[in-house]
Formats: sequence, C-alpha cells, structure tokens
Amino acid sequence: MKIIIEAPQPNEEDVVIVRCASPDQRLISMLLSFKTVNTELTGYLNDKIARLNYQDVYYFESNENRVFAYCSSDVYEVKYKLYELEELFNPLDFVRCSKSMIINMEKIEFLSPLFSGKLEAHLKNGEKVLISRQYVHSLKAKLGIEEGE
Amino acid sequence: MVKEFFISLLHYFVDITTAVIIAAAVYLTFSEQQMENVILWQILLSGFITALPTALLLCFDPKSVKISVILWVIHFLLIFFITLILLKMFGWCRITPTSVFLTFIAVLFIYFFTCSVHYLVAKKHTAWMNQQLKIRYSKEKQ
Repeated sequence: MKIIIEAPQPNEEDVVIVRCASPDQRLISMLLSFKTVNTELTGYLNDKIARLNYQDVYYFESNENRVFAYCSSDVYEVKYKLYELEELFNPLDFVRCSKSMIINMEKIEFLSPLFSGKLEAHLKNGEKVLISRQYVHSLKAKLGIEEGE
Repeated sequence: MVKEFFISLLHYFVDITTAVIIAAAVYLTFSEQQMENVILWQILLSGFITALPTALLLCFDPKSVKISVILWVIHFLLIFFITLILLKMFGWCRITPTSVFLTFIAVLFIYFFTCSVHYLVAKKHTAWMNQQLKIRYSKEKQ
C-alpha cells in the first residue's frame, strides 16, 4: 500500500482520503483512533495550568502515583494514569519503554545498546532514557522491524 | 514474560554451549587429552543449567544501576559455583586451587563471550532501528 502525503492549498483544511478497494478492520480502527485521539493535555506546573500539545512532550513518567510530562525544559504533572496515556497515545508515536515510562519516538535522536541488554535512547534535548529489554520489541514493532503482538 | 523467559533461555543456551565447546576445545588441545562422546551431553546439560539463572536474571528489570550491578555480580558468582559443582559432578577435573582458578578464567571467558555476542547483535539491531527512525522522521519533516 502506498502512502501519499500532500500539502493542502493555503486556507484549506487538512483532510485524509483513503482510496482502497475494501477498507479492512485494521484500517478502520486505525482511522477511528486517529480521529478520536485527544492530542491536547492539561499540564500542571506549580500554580500554572497549561495546554500541552503531545508533540511537545518528550516522555511521560510515573513517579509515586503521579504522572509527569517532560517537555524540552519544563516538567508538567498530568492527571492521567500511565496506562491511560498509553492507550490514548499509542496510535501516535508514543511507545512504552519501561514500567514507568512512555516515550515519544519523534524525540529520539538515536539509540545505543548497553551491555545489560537494555537500550539507551538519546533524546533531542540531550537527555538519556533507558529502554527495558521487555519493551524493545514494542519499539521495533512500531518502527516496522518486528511484527506486533 | 513467560515467552521472554523461554526466548532468553534458548538464546543463552546456544551462546553458552558454543562458548563451553570453544573452551573445551582449547583445553583438550593443550592438554592433549581424548574426549569421550558422553562429554558432549554433559556440555549440553551444563549449557542448559547455566542458561537458566541467566534467563531468570533477565526477567528482572531493576531501575537503579546499583541493584543492576549487584544482580550481575550475584549472577556471575552463581554461574561460577554451578560450574564448579558440574566439574565435580561430571568428574571433568579434581577441585584444587589451580582448577578453581582455571575455572574462574573459563567462566570469565564464557561470560565475556556471551555478553559480547549479545551486545554485537543488539548493536546491529539498534543500527537498523536508528535507520528506521531516520527514514520515518526525515520524511515527516519534508
């Protein structure tokens, strides 16, 4: 299947056109999740409340029953459970990288292996994040290297 | 988790057995001893027994580096003592300070060999993943 991405005309709304003989279940559910996904989050930083765009988030981390969204410089608390964020953002470029972390693949500069069998993700803001062995296959599946379960 | 365990068990069984065969080949060449066919089954069994704690260790995912290092040290010592027990059990050699020292060196070699093989495989996979990341996000930027 070919994927063609075209830039719309100025002042034209973004539109997704699917041209296929018969849309299968996988395609329909993918399009539905894309349509319904909430791409904005409310982040709390001290007394500030901010609208966060998912594209600005480097990773989500849970710590002592609280979940935080790490952006380029600020860290916001979000009122979601980690598994809820995983369900919400799984259709996008977010992938679980450890029990307590979900990473935005778009923010990965490069990956490097460690002797322990884990991977280290070097993020575009200079941070390094560990990817557990158990979650390496999910990342590979997202990248189209391995079949997802 | 169970699937992961069996995959790790299979991988480490193959790697450890290969390393033990290399170590045995080097030892037999230098000692000019003959090998009985039963030793091949003993090597396979020792490969399986030492792969078990390795696969178990990989089921743990400690967050701190300190705990991770402690687990790896415990694992190394466990493998070393299991090897000593197997040496005694199979009658491969008598337990003397020299044989214990040589076993330590052999286990160190097998450990380094297995870790290096896994590291090199991971390096190859990571290069592939980096390439996929590059393709995916360079296209999106255009």
